[in-house]
Amino acid sequence: MDVLREYWLFLLPLIIAQFALMITALVHIFKHPTYRFGSRAMWIAIVVLFQMIGPIVYFVFGRGEDD
Amino acid sequence: MNILEISDLHMSFGSNQVLRGLNMAVPEHAIYGFVGRNGAGKTTTMKIVLGLLKAQSGSVTVCGEKVSYGSARTNRHIGYLPDVPEFYGYMRPREYLKLCGEITGLPAAEIKSRSAELLELVGLAGVNRRISGFSRGMKQRLGIAQALLNKPRLLICDEPTSALDPIGRRQVLEILSAIRGQTTVVFSTHILSDVERICDHIAVLEQGRLALAGTLSEIQKQHRRNSFRIRFAAEEEGRAFSQLAELDRPGIELELEGRELQIVSGDDSIGGQELIDLLSAQQIAPEKFEAMEPTLEDLFTEVVK
Amino acid sequence: MNHFFVFLKKELLEYARTYKLLILLTVFIIFGITNPLIAKLTPDLLANFMPEGMTVTIPEPTALDSWAQFFKNTQQMGLIVLLLVFSGVLANEISKGTLINLLTKGLSRQAVIAAKYGAMLLVWSVSVGISALLTCIYTVYLFPGDPVSHLIFAVFCMWLFGAFLLAVLLAASALAKGNYGGLLLTGCIVVVLFSLNIIPGAAKYNPIALAARNMELAAGAAEPPALYPAAGITVLAVLALLGLALAVFRKKEL
Repeated sequence: MDVLREYWLFLLPLIIAQFALMITALVHIFKHPTYRFGSRAMWIAIVVLFQMIGPIVYFVFGRGEDD
Repeated sequence: MNILEISDLHMSFGSNQVLRGLNMAVPEHAIYGFVGRNGAGKTTTMKIVLGLLKAQSGSVTVCGEKVSYGSARTNRHIGYLPDVPEFYGYMRPREYLKLCGEITGLPAAEIKSRSAELLELVGLAGVNRRISGFSRGMKQRLGIAQALLNKPRLLICDEPTSALDPIGRRQVLEILSAIRGQTTVVFSTHILSDVERICDHIAVLEQGRLALAGTLSEIQKQHRRNSFRIRFAAEEEGRAFSQLAELDRPGIELELEGRELQIVSGDDSIGGQELIDLLSAQQIAPEKFEAMEPTLEDLFTEVVK
Repeated sequence: MNHFFVFLKKELLEYARTYKLLILLTVFIIFGITNPLIAKLTPDLLANFMPEGMTVTIPEPTALDSWAQFFKNTQQMGLIVLLLVFSGVLANEISKGTLINLLTKGLSRQAVIAAKYGAMLLVWSVSVGISALLTCIYTVYLFPGDPVSHLIFAVFCMWLFGAFLLAVLLAASALAKGNYGGLLLTGCIVVVLFSLNIIPGAAKYNPIALAARNMELAAGAAEPPALYPAAGITVLAVLALLGLALAVFRKKEL
């Protein structure tokens, strides 16, 4: 807990950035039923379990056509 | 004045000779149906006209200016709608038209007013969604809008209706019909009923040349064959009638099927009046007597036989 | 020139709407914050994981450790993410045929290549700039007064190396087929560049040096002129690659 109190100035923006990425990816997954490969459940798991890397992999490889 | 002139165009892909001396002239304000079976070379011809493909020999002029490969100069007169237009899915229709307008070099105010006008014309005025969610028909209509943006004198559409369902097809044809008189339209298709519906000129591409070209009414007149169908009250009557010596002439084809007799005379060797006279001389009162117009499809199959 | 800006605008809109911008900015912001933090916390973490009774003396972290993290993260994850995100920028348009329409309207192919490179370079510059800025701010806060030398030049070298990779990617995408062909070819070229260092004397001119010797600069172990040959070669290579990309793309039937 000391670490948290001491370094909140770092951790807060870090957590916000991570969450922003994750939430955007999740919203996209829920809005779009088709992916280049894989299923919805799989992508949700990837995005939630792998901080930062998960959403990147989803947007680069998993995201279906266009927006 | 001819807005598009193609003379002696040759083109082959490997050993496949696609165009063998194509000659074609499209008069201004025509709606020109460019017909041919799949693989006949319609798309190839259009790509050469747009300067996207290099022909082996022959020349193409658009509005009197010679088309040269790799240059987009003559394209300022042309609006082009590819068979399956591809857009940026993340854009909205208005944004795409803006991009097109900026590339063409139209002033911003004109892009705005013209876009609004065209989106109205193609029935997408109220659509502010991203293009990725568009149906094929909507994409095709947006395609027409982008092609007309710079007020081209010539609109070239490659199979604009082929990939569409009946409703989408009707909408596209109506739009093309609506710009009649403002812009010359050349559209390729293999759907003949589309041509019959809106074209005034038609050309049939076969074996790398035009097998048939002219205005629709001219061609129909030229290729009018006297064709009749008579339904008799009894099969006996039909058989007897078809064996008459008067009908045994060269140029007349008879086909008896049950009580129905079909008579086709290639030239004017027999007319309707003569047939009716013959019938009454035999004291036959048919159940039905019908003179038939040749359909475009008959013409087409005859030409590409 | 007008076409360049029109298409540049289109590219940036594309990056924003297809999440490319979001990914790159967030990743580089995360790195920017993490770099100093990791440097600061590593000794504590190590101490926690050490078996009871074992005492190891870990030197107090300094600003240099923070920048070591910056260069390591940017060079490894950062550049990989950059290439991944931009891998389809040219290939997708070629495979989907979205350019045909615009080219028939008179868009020059030169403008396409220039604008695509320009847009990628712009995003890369902003990303690495933000990351460096954040690292800098937090480093000063955590390790006040620690000396770091040639920092701006060291970051510039990293930036130039990224710019070089983007040019490689663009040329490779024009050459290779398919959506990931360009990425694959880029990977191969990087491997070749790494192996070139085996040749005695080559390392001095190899663009790889720009992403490998940053810490030597920061620590004062190397002076900027040591990297001038590599930087010069890299600038020339970028121009040559762009020329190649254009030449190949000009001939491409769409």
